[in-house]
Amino acid sequence: MLNTLVIGAGTMGSTHAAAYVKMEDVTLVGIVDTNLAKARDLAEKLGTKAFQTYEEAVGNLMSIDVVSVCVPTPVHKEYVMKAADENRHVICEKPLARSLSDARDMIHYCQDKGVKLFVGHVVRFFPEYVRAKQVVDEGKIGNPAVIRTTRGGGFPIASNDWYSDFNSSGGLVLDMIIHDFDFLRWCFGEVERVYAKSSRTRVFEKLEYALVTLRFESGAIAHVEGTWAHQGFSTRFEIAGKEGIIEYDSAKVAPVVASKKESVSSGGVAVPESPMKNNPYFTELQHFINCINTDTKPIVSAEDAYKAMEISLAALESIETGKAVVLQGTMEKEAVQ
Amino acid sequence: MKIGMISFAHSHAFSYADALTQLDGVEIAGIADENEERGKKVSSQFNTEYFQDYEDLLDQPIDAVIISSENSRHYEHVVAAAKKGKHILCEKPLAHTIEDAKKIIDVCKEQNVILQTAFPVRFNTPVVKAKQIIESGQLGNIVAVKGTNRGTNPGGWFVDPAKSGGGAVIDHTVHVVDIIRWYTGAEVKEVYAEVGNLISDYDIDDCGLLTMEFDNNMFATLDCSWSRNENYPTWGDVTLEIVGTSGTLTVDAFEQKVNVYNKDGARWNFWGDDMDKALVEDFITSVREGKTPSITGEDGLKALSVAIAAYESSKKQEPVKVN
Repeated sequence: MLNTLVIGAGTMGSTHAAAYVKMEDVTLVGIVDTNLAKARDLAEKLGTKAFQTYEEAVGNLMSIDVVSVCVPTPVHKEYVMKAADENRHVICEKPLARSLSDARDMIHYCQDKGVKLFVGHVVRFFPEYVRAKQVVDEGKIGNPAVIRTTRGGGFPIASNDWYSDFNSSGGLVLDMIIHDFDFLRWCFGEVERVYAKSSRTRVFEKLEYALVTLRFESGAIAHVEGTWAHQGFSTRFEIAGKEGIIEYDSAKVAPVVASKKESVSSGGVAVPESPMKNNPYFTELQHFINCINTDTKPIVSAEDAYKAMEISLAALESIETGKAVVLQGTMEKEAVQ
Repeated sequence: MKIGMISFAHSHAFSYADALTQLDGVEIAGIADENEERGKKVSSQFNTEYFQDYEDLLDQPIDAVIISSENSRHYEHVVAAAKKGKHILCEKPLAHTIEDAKKIIDVCKEQNVILQTAFPVRFNTPVVKAKQIIESGQLGNIVAVKGTNRGTNPGGWFVDPAKSGGGAVIDHTVHVVDIIRWYTGAEVKEVYAEVGNLISDYDIDDCGLLTMEFDNNMFATLDCSWSRNENYPTWGDVTLEIVGTSGTLTVDAFEQKVNVYNKDGARWNFWGDDMDKALVEDFITSVREGKTPSITGEDGLKALSVAIAAYESSKKQEPVKVN
């Protein structure tokens, strides 16, 4: 039985906490949030304890084996290191950090302390993405050629509006479409070159829209669309290979749609759902817990998280310079050859 | 009005010919095609006279010609027609090189004939509706556009660079670039492109992703790949995602379809308005009224310049300025 502590009672903290409560081999021992009322609300709902600080939780709890870090990106490092200091395994939300140097420090720190560091690149646990990779791996569409992904919806709302602060969040490109970068790298290997454009610095309205082109070492080309300019969250992908095409659009998958008449004159509301027995966050967290219990390698490693950040940061650099950015790893390899 | 047609090398000629037969007071006065078998076949199909030599067709009392030859032949055919005072509707891309496109424009000006580039997508009804929505101002300022114009590798002369000037990039960049220019009045300043030959066994580009910077601080991407295979339910697409400061607009030019499932698999059967017919009708009206064409040779050149810059960018792996 592993005892887990969740830091952060926002959207992701709530998701982690709810998943732990469902797991048979895990006890959710507490929720920490500097906004104690928020922590209390969530703790009450899930039958666990609320704390205002990590230190308070540590002082009051008998044992904590795993810490889930679900706070804004710039604070990840602080909590990951605190947890590692006391030999607790860490499950950190993505992106791992705001800068590559922080990410590297965190990975080394956890290695030195002998604790496992997992990063929540949950798209690798979404069944539609897993299935697409499987179809590609089975060779059913031949060699992948042009891949397109889309992710986004409205501008995210969170504590202190931290997503709006580019220096904290890295915006859409670091926070959101890093999911797609990780997925694409998982499926198609290393990225050689990145070119990107974003609405950031072009408009004053609260929206962000980015279009990124990736060239893989395999030759495949990917187009990644990220949006915080639309209404309603959706994800899409299309993989065109030499011999076939895979398409998916979450907005078109609605096996259950409940419609309610609001009044005689006005229309109603339709609530589409695509229910599964377990949500992908549960699957992901259960996998990380299993990796701790059995001391096995995860489907997505901290190094993968670092690599995904490299792509995001290269895209941000390209947006800023207007030039194509060749990934460091590629250049180093060429220098070695 | 009597219209001649030069070459059926590009299959769009079939729908243009169909359109001509449906228009009141318009007659296909003859078809010239150096491919005799093809020329005779289509001449009998459209119930008109066949000419082996296009000069003989141009000597007929015709008002205008529709040129649907290989890209590299456009210049030769345009010059011949313009010199005999015939107005011209020329298939896209206007030419396979910038030089030819410029000369095409010049000769038509000198000879005082109408030159229209065939960009039928401007006459697709959903695309037109989207223009009205943009012009209403409800999207605010346009920030970005994401376009696709995918297709199926046509093979034949399309995969022979000497005749086509290139593959997917030259074939499928021009439509969407033209639409974005038409929608926004902005010009492409810079192009970056990743281009590849990853799908067909022909030695020609069949994958392309362009990123464009415009002179109004807007950006756009375009997927011009020949990435649809024979089992995909349709030939390709034209889609646009337009992001404005106060709203977004999604356009799928060929979404008006019924889905058909039979021994051929699953196919999409389009029932929307016929854009090729509307294009031809518009050209005929311009000729009749002697007015400036709705889509000029310059429009054709601007769109072609982006495709040519895309090839250059993909070689340099850097963005390239567009003049």
